[in-house]
Amino acid sequence: MALFAAGLSHKNAPVELREQLAADGDKLRELLRDALATGVVREAVMLSTCNRVEVYGVADAPAAARAAVFGALCQQRGVPSAVVDSLLYTHEEADAIRHAFRVAASLDSMMIGEPQILGQVKEAFALAQSSETVGPALHTLFTQAFAVAKRVRTETEIARHAVSVSFAAVELAKKIFAGLGGRAVLLLGAGKMSELAARHLVEHGAFPIYVVNRTWSRAQEMARALSGTAVPFDELAAALTAVDIVVTSTGATTPVVTREMVARVIHGRGARPLFFIDIAVPRDVEPGVDTLEDVYCYDIDDLKQVVDANIRERLREAQRAEALVEREVTKFKARLGDVEVIPTIVSLRERLEEIRTGEVRKTLARLPDATPETRAAIEALSAAIVNKVLHAPITKLRESSRAGSHRSWLEVVHELFALGRRA
Amino acid sequence: MYTYLLNAAIIAYACATGLSFAYLVQRHETTHRLASLATASGWAAHTLALVVAAVETGRPPLGTLSNAVSVAVWVVVLVAMIVERRSGLKLLGAFVMPVVLVLGLKSTVGPSPMLAPALGNAWIWVHIALALIGIAAFVLNFAGALMYLLQERQIRAKRPGRFYYRLPALETLDHLTYRTLALGFPFLTTGLILGALWARTSWGSLFAPDPVAFFSVVAWVIYAGTLAGRAAGGWRGRRAAYYAIVGFAALVLTLGAGFFLPGMHGA
Repeated sequence: MALFAAGLSHKNAPVELREQLAADGDKLRELLRDALATGVVREAVMLSTCNRVEVYGVADAPAAARAAVFGALCQQRGVPSAVVDSLLYTHEEADAIRHAFRVAASLDSMMIGEPQILGQVKEAFALAQSSETVGPALHTLFTQAFAVAKRVRTETEIARHAVSVSFAAVELAKKIFAGLGGRAVLLLGAGKMSELAARHLVEHGAFPIYVVNRTWSRAQEMARALSGTAVPFDELAAALTAVDIVVTSTGATTPVVTREMVARVIHGRGARPLFFIDIAVPRDVEPGVDTLEDVYCYDIDDLKQVVDANIRERLREAQRAEALVEREVTKFKARLGDVEVIPTIVSLRERLEEIRTGEVRKTLARLPDATPETRAAIEALSAAIVNKVLHAPITKLRESSRAGSHRSWLEVVHELFALGRRA
Repeated sequence: MYTYLLNAAIIAYACATGLSFAYLVQRHETTHRLASLATASGWAAHTLALVVAAVETGRPPLGTLSNAVSVAVWVVVLVAMIVERRSGLKLLGAFVMPVVLVLGLKSTVGPSPMLAPALGNAWIWVHIALALIGIAAFVLNFAGALMYLLQERQIRAKRPGRFYYRLPALETLDHLTYRTLALGFPFLTTGLILGALWARTSWGSLFAPDPVAFFSVVAWVIYAGTLAGRAAGGWRGRRAAYYAIVGFAALVLTLGAGFFLPGMHGA
């Protein structure tokens, strides 16, 4: 009996193969049920995203379980299983726990810290639950994996710094302004990326939005899309006086915003900071504008540089996250033992209690004249015997779970006391 | 007893300084919690030390310049703890605690000139206390200005480094320096006026030849100019931060003069 995680991911399998193997809802449910029906798998959760196809399970022989699940998957998807087999990795016991925690915490993702994976793992778990293929071991494993993922997210910064240019621009704005609520934004030009940046700013409370474009109809159209106001092109200088953040992305070949223009408007601004986000290539904001006091300007290369730095920062934080996961794995190993042992202890007690009450009832039926004292004595005697008998096996089970050798003992106890097949 | 408690406080402040720097570098929440704990326990020991000193001598613990600086440090730590709690500016410690530590050490070692001997007048205590609260606010003003300049440099350099990620927005830091300036200035002003009035009654002149008075007036002029510039001329950001640092340098000279130069304030 072992906990295992097996599959393939963006780290070792080409995207074409991952696409071919990806399956959804009903197909996965069918696979899960079939896998349990074979008897080689006791519990299973299947995770299928565009970056990974994995099975998490409990089985006597993980290799056989893996072969059964992926064999069925390959057959279902029409993929030669030899190709898949050569790529599959298998983690067992502590390694499987670590893998589950790392995947859920987005440490194994293509972009470290990306937020989608946790939701995907949760969906996979819910699907397996609804297919009734989740037992106590996987239930504890996944519940804990969600908790670990949450801890990693809040206690480290692996998900904090923007990895896209438009989000990096928003974060920069937040390092200049104390909150973006009520900051006026000017959109100069009508690129897709500048619209995206503007939308992010609006989501963070920026308001109002002004749109300037050489083509008046285009300005109006964009203003409508962003619930903003279109401003005629020749009022650009006036608009610059009023706003806090300027996003530029015109197709102009020479700078639209010159240093001289900004130097003139800066006096009317009362020393409020002015932040240019220049996404255009070639640039719309003349170099040297940000040598002016209280004026900041980031062009597309600067923003990319920030994104690179952010990714490096995430990787640094990932090291801290790995250490956190490692501590959680150690803690979890001990807990998992208890979780697996407890149901057996409970059913063992129930089994013997059932026998005891049955026998006591029979005996008392043959003794109609028994006084209440006698009855109580018989109850007490039988209960004491049951407790004495149970003491040694329960102690042994608890000890073995601490030592990590409980799985074979569970088998023995189930056989000896005829407890039936374990859940 | 006073010395023991004060030494314990200084040691705790030293630990807090080290931990604050450690937090700046590796950002473990535990480190920050330990730094806060060290700061709080140092402050508690410091409070006890001041109470003991007051009980032993039967008057406010402001009799010597060292005592007075010690009280200023006590106020700084208290205000820094409040600001940090309220603004969530967890890096504040790394900028304030070194100043606290240096001032705190100065208040325990070296010469400790008696403040003007004729301290019978209650007003003189008010003068000292107000000036010290002013100094405490300006320590935070200095820390805020330093953080502002660091963050501004990072943003202008377009190469985000450690401070970029750790420090808050420029505007937030600018507000911090403005508010601490606006808080410290009235205290400093009233403290100076009381000092001048007292100087006239006891020395017969508003402007006694005294280095402490001289440098504190210099600091006052710098702060007054900055405050006026901010209120009227829309000074902010980098310029205001530079003046905050120059003003603080003048305050440090003021204290240095008190310790090392002869004058009406001692030494």
